Amino acid sequence: MANPRKMKDLRKQPGFEFLAYTCLFFLYAPIVVLVIFSFNDNRSVVLWTEFSFRWYVEAFDNDGIREATIISFKVAAVATFFSTIFATMAALATTRTPPYRGQTLAYAIINQPLMVPEIVTAVATLAFFTLIKKLTGVSGIGYLMMAHTVFCIPFAYMPIRARLEDMNLTLEQAAADLYATPFQVFRTITLPLMAPGIVAGAMLAFVVSLDDVIISLLIAGPGETTLPIYILGQIRRGITPEINAVSTLLLGLTVILVALFFIIGRKK
Amino acid sequence: MTKTKLKMATALAAGLGLAGPALAEGELNIYNWGNYTNPELIEKFEAEFGIEVNLDGYDSNETMLAKVREGNTGYDIVVPGDSTVQIMIGLDMLAEIKPNEMENFKNMDPKWVDVWWDPGRNYSVPWQWGTTSFTVDTEVYTGDINTLALMFDPPEELKGRINMLNDMNDVINAGLRYKGYDRCNSNADELREVTEMLIAAKENWRTMDYSTIEKLTSGDVDLSQNWNGAAMRAREQRPTLQYAYPKEGFTGWMDNVAVLADAPNMENAKLFVNFIMDPENAAMISNFARYANGIMGSEEFMDAEMLSAPEIVMPANAPTPDFVKPCPQEVTDLYNRIWTRLKQ
Repeated sequence: MANPRKMKDLRKQPGFEFLAYTCLFFLYAPIVVLVIFSFNDNRSVVLWTEFSFRWYVEAFDNDGIREATIISFKVAAVATFFSTIFATMAALATTRTPPYRGQTLAYAIINQPLMVPEIVTAVATLAFFTLIKKLTGVSGIGYLMMAHTVFCIPFAYMPIRARLEDMNLTLEQAAADLYATPFQVFRTITLPLMAPGIVAGAMLAFVVSLDDVIISLLIAGPGETTLPIYILGQIRRGITPEINAVSTLLLGLTVILVALFFIIGRKK
Repeated sequence: MTKTKLKMATALAAGLGLAGPALAEGELNIYNWGNYTNPELIEKFEAEFGIEVNLDGYDSNETMLAKVREGNTGYDIVVPGDSTVQIMIGLDMLAEIKPNEMENFKNMDPKWVDVWWDPGRNYSVPWQWGTTSFTVDTEVYTGDINTLALMFDPPEELKGRINMLNDMNDVINAGLRYKGYDRCNSNADELREVTEMLIAAKENWRTMDYSTIEKLTSGDVDLSQNWNGAAMRAREQRPTLQYAYPKEGFTGWMDNVAVLADAPNMENAKLFVNFIMDPENAAMISNFARYANGIMGSEEFMDAEMLSAPEIVMPANAPTPDFVKPCPQEVTDLYNRIWTRLKQ
């Protein structure tokens, strides 16, 4: 790379402020509009009349929205739990071992869901699960949770692995020198140090699961409509501000989660 | 929780081959277009038969078909559009439930019995039907609105104020009607002429989008290709809008309730099919979805504003809606090419 002395502060480049504010505007203006219209006393999502909580009340009264939200959270919670465990194990196995043959292949396989187009994964999973259902006769929401767990693994894996790679091995080696068993080293040194990575990975997995449309659309069985599928189904018949209200609540929840994460991170 | 337990028990029973003749109690899994089913209708059905209903929504015939085609989805009831019914019958995906022998079949309007997608009604019954035409603001354009020329050769005041549906068949069929040519057309000269006409007309279109109600009520456009039920909802917010019945013709469509061949709750599904042919129940569907049903006597139970709505009650001098059959593959390929050129 260039000589660091010659590098100028990026923020001093001409046009930087303008570009940055344009990007921020296009990222956040639609969200601001969505939030504003969730308080609109009118069926329209484009015409303002007056302020009211009407759509929040209607959203809470709407069985479809309520059930879809509960299902979304259930699936996301289970998928986050399992994918974070698997991702942690995978991250340990790819960073805390001497290099071995096939390590690159292991990376590639773990990250596969990021590379393959989602629709391909969705169709393949649909066919695979149908076959299992035919053979076993078992059905239920477990399939949806399993599918979500799988595509959440690489998202949980990335921050955990990044954290492990940043961590110096000296502490772990010192503990081992002092006759700590491998499990003691893991429990008292590695795990506490990698915890921020695990939390970040889990949060990412949760958000990705909550967001998913294509795989859920094809995998979900009877009574397993998640919130994104519910919203998608509304488009043809016209979206009501109920959707804005639910989205605003979800947005608020996300902001609170992220804020909490930062506060906890800072105290340590 | 009880739902999950029940499901597990059902799965277990099915697995052991214990699921004997279906009982009047149990479950029913309905897969319908999103936001299209009156929750009160479901509550009434649940209360009357002691059956628990799971209701899920899809966004297009294609999504539903892709998912259900694999089999073993667990769904009993689907609501395909007219040509999709024919496709599904051809693929042996629907159960021959013989609605024409059911008790409430006598209520079905005879004009919906011998339809080309299910002659004699051996597989399906009407859910809702409607038309696809367009809506104009009569304050912006004061002339005669019943002509497709407003979309394809618009007057000065409508230029750049038009939204078309983002739907290949709806746009091309309207173009064919405007030129006076047959639907499912494979005549190269006629298609070339229509393509050129559409490309020229596109200069005057503002958008091509499904969200017609939002486009019209926000004042983004003054004319939009539209479904009649959506047109009625848009008019409630912008009273100067009027739904056109173009003299060149317009599309009719019907969504139909059908039962999947591998439905786990076959008897409950049949109960539901018979249930919605009751005039009072059919009216509940219309009052929510804002389209007409095919059941005689349902008018008595329908909301007053629907019975007087010009979008729902067609004027006597309007042309008969044209229920377009699915086209052969080579025609669809030609249409795809026209559509790609138009969207460039």
